[in-house]
Amino acid sequence: MAIDSNSPSFVSQLCFGSILEEQILPYPKMKEAEQETFKNIRSSIEQLLRPHEKDFREWDAKGEMPASFIEELKQFGLFSLLIPESHGGMGLSTTAYSRTLQELARWDGSVAVTVGAHSSIGLRGLLLFGTDEQKARFCPKLATGEMIACFCLTEPGAGSDAASIKTHAVRDGDDWVLNGNKLWITNGGIAQFFTVFAKTGGPGERGSVTAFIVTSDMAGVTTGPHEDKMGLRASNTTTVMFDNVRVPAANVLGEVGKGFKVAMKILNSGRTGLGGGSVGVMKKMLTLATKQAKDRVQFGKPIAEYGLIKQKLGTMVVDCYVTEAAVNLVNHLIDSGHEDYAVEAAITKVFASEAMWRTIDEALQVAGGNGFMREFPYERALRDARINRIFEGTNDILRLFISLTSMNEVGSQLKELASSLKGIFDNPIKGFGVISDYARRRAGLASNLIKRENAVFTKLHPAVQPQQQVFEALTRDLATAVDQVLRKHGKNIIGKQFASRRLADMMIDLFVLAATLSRVSTAVSEKGAASVTRELEILEVFTGQVKRRFQANFAQINENDDELVKSLANHALDLDGYTWDNV
Amino acid sequence: MPLKILVTAKRVEDSESKIKVNPAGTGIVLEGLKFKINPFDEIAIEEALRLTAKHGGEVVVVSIGGKEVVEQLRSPALAMGANRAIWVNHVGPMDQLGIAACLQKICEKEKPDLCILGKQAIDDDQGQVGSYLAEALGWSQATFASKEESLESEAEKSKAPAIKLSADGKSVTVVREVDGGLQTIEATLPAVATTELRLNQPRYASLPGIMKAKTKPLEEVTPASLGVDMTPHITVVKMTHPPARKAGIKVADVPALMDKLKNEARAI
Ligand SMILES: Cc1cc2nc3c(=O)[nH]c(=O)nc-3n(C[C@H](O)[C@H](O)[C@H](O)COP(=O)(O)OP(=O)(O)OC[C@H]3O[C@@H](n4cnc5c(N)ncnc54)[C@H](O)[C@@H]3O)c2cc1C
Repeated sequence: MAIDSNSPSFVSQLCFGSILEEQILPYPKMKEAEQETFKNIRSSIEQLLRPHEKDFREWDAKGEMPASFIEELKQFGLFSLLIPESHGGMGLSTTAYSRTLQELARWDGSVAVTVGAHSSIGLRGLLLFGTDEQKARFCPKLATGEMIACFCLTEPGAGSDAASIKTHAVRDGDDWVLNGNKLWITNGGIAQFFTVFAKTGGPGERGSVTAFIVTSDMAGVTTGPHEDKMGLRASNTTTVMFDNVRVPAANVLGEVGKGFKVAMKILNSGRTGLGGGSVGVMKKMLTLATKQAKDRVQFGKPIAEYGLIKQKLGTMVVDCYVTEAAVNLVNHLIDSGHEDYAVEAAITKVFASEAMWRTIDEALQVAGGNGFMREFPYERALRDARINRIFEGTNDILRLFISLTSMNEVGSQLKELASSLKGIFDNPIKGFGVISDYARRRAGLASNLIKRENAVFTKLHPAVQPQQQVFEALTRDLATAVDQVLRKHGKNIIGKQFASRRLADMMIDLFVLAATLSRVSTAVSEKGAASVTRELEILEVFTGQVKRRFQANFAQINENDDELVKSLANHALDLDGYTWDNV
Repeated sequence: MPLKILVTAKRVEDSESKIKVNPAGTGIVLEGLKFKINPFDEIAIEEALRLTAKHGGEVVVVSIGGKEVVEQLRSPALAMGANRAIWVNHVGPMDQLGIAACLQKICEKEKPDLCILGKQAIDDDQGQVGSYLAEALGWSQATFASKEESLESEAEKSKAPAIKLSADGKSVTVVREVDGGLQTIEATLPAVATTELRLNQPRYASLPGIMKAKTKPLEEVTPASLGVDMTPHITVVKMTHPPARKAGIKVADVPALMDKLKNEARAI
């Protein structure tokens, strides 16, 4: 599939009512040579991790994995996944890497995150922005695990608002002198390679962040104790402190002052890794839940025979299939050099982390009381999964990011709004800080921006036509909704989070449906409708789910309880909580 | 004395997969199955690698089948550390005589000191190839190779080979598993050995190993080029699932149970 690397984001075009089908069709397949490598990796991973199945539970209870096991991971080569072959690594594509994380996550979340934080975010900056000299200096050691990498952005006062970090660096001769504290850094205590973000502008300036490569042998780098966490307990999470650390100028990653972009680019390209991990866990939950449902007998029958159990299992199947479709599709977009994938990657992170949460929760429910027992894997899976909705951008922030970024172009084309909107969409996350600077101004515009071209699919298999039509109709509704919301709120959309969230949910659903249509349609074309009956059923069920959710969201654009809910929140805020009592 | 060792790597259905007999009853449904290397062959490769690690030499791995068997040759076989591979490209029916004949021809050309094969393959459990091969070559034969130490022992942890080469390099000592015990034999080289499950705990292919395996030599031959006629002497007539277990029954009380055990099941 030839994708123009400069073609715009699929979802941003959906906001105009335009379906860029060539971006998503045909549904991608892993290259054959890489498939072979991947299959080998998969069976080796099983040999590596299966013997530790009991240990994972023990390490979760203890809150730590032993150094000998990390050594085993290094020997096995798990830290080399993304390092190019020329530097001693596996050189996996995003697709194969994400698929490999699936395999790790089905065995243990902490292992997947240890490997994922190293590759997805820890060393990604070096791969994306490093000079040849920097790559030659660090890649070979990162590949063998002699150096484990971590990503240091979050601080006590700077979580979602990453631009407000306080860690700073001052130029002194050939070095930068780095000071500050980072919080909750995955692999912090076992890392030798730190990608660190610090302010390099004047005091009080919001912008001007620079990324640095810091190594553990530099004087003044220390890490705190291992955090006691709800889940991923065996994965190492610590504070990292920099006390007058002299970082050579040769260790600046990317350009001085462009560090915020570096951070966002790393997070954007790392996000599909989380999606991969989620799919792995969902597959494992289906295996466990189907077995449990057949084995457990109540009222004289295996519980698998009861409707409410079937409802859970069937829904789990749908969730798993559509999540896999979306994750795989975005991985392919990234691999084929497409540049504008940040929104789609964010969608996979939000959808996958929530689908995984539902799936584990339902698998636990199928297991009944056993699901609550530590002896079984459900409760650990649930605890491990929870953080996926928080880290690498909270799902709430990502929802705002998805809708505001996607509407950016529509907004800039609403002529009368263009000048006042200018800039605020450029960086939606940063933009939140300036919301109050803008006065609300209603823009009454007549022009209709909904595009007529590309309003329909032309390449889908006729077998999926009913679902295709639903998708096209909903796409028209999305464009209408975006148009309405922007006209109504104008630049104040930044402050209208209820509306943004609704639009984000509509976009998320539509993108995942597009990926599913692509996957099923391609499967029908390749294998014939008769042999993909089940997949057609999945598409039918998911389309129904999307349609109902979408229509509810759409209706609420104009008719909702937003102001009431806000006033109740304000009431609780004023009075510090709940104020009614039956006594 | 460096040893040249020939080992086999058969592609078999993964025992974790759910095996279904096809409607015609002539074979199993292959769709959706996962495949892997025969675990007994994996043990053979491990033993060969331990022997060459200790004495030097070369490990050559052979597989027979369509192009899919290259997957198992590359990984785990070459990725575990075997030096090179020979792929006998053959699509279609074959039986143990044909397989042994291919291996015989390869041995005549390669002249290994030792051949190590799995005692059987976990798919059709024939367990014949090792013996046929020794017979065809006129070599000594050590079936069911095992060891005295357990798989948790220090000897196992140190990755010492269980098959011991004599000081003069002319024979090997093999501990064989026999019913209820062990038997130690000495076999003159060249020899054919077949592996038991308790011979060793095979290593896994590391990711660097998988990368290295991509460029290791893999030679393609055919039964015709080896001068072997693969026409089977044995054909599979029918395959069936084991009969489904009958549902249990409930008995009212202990006397009723005793009665059933005595008179129906005749268990007591
Ligand atoms: C186990 C673990 C591992 C981690 N690993 C790393 C790591 O390796 N490197 C790293 O740099 N960080 C790491 N983090 C930090 C993580 O990325 C942050 O926790 C995350 O970005 C959220 O920041 P916060 O916790 O400060 O929450 P906050 O930003 O304080 O958010 C609190 C709540 O407010 C909401 N919120 C915030 N701003 C807005 C807004 N403008 N509008 C609406 N809602 C808003 C959020 O969605 C959230 O619900 C890790 C955290 C954990 C728990």
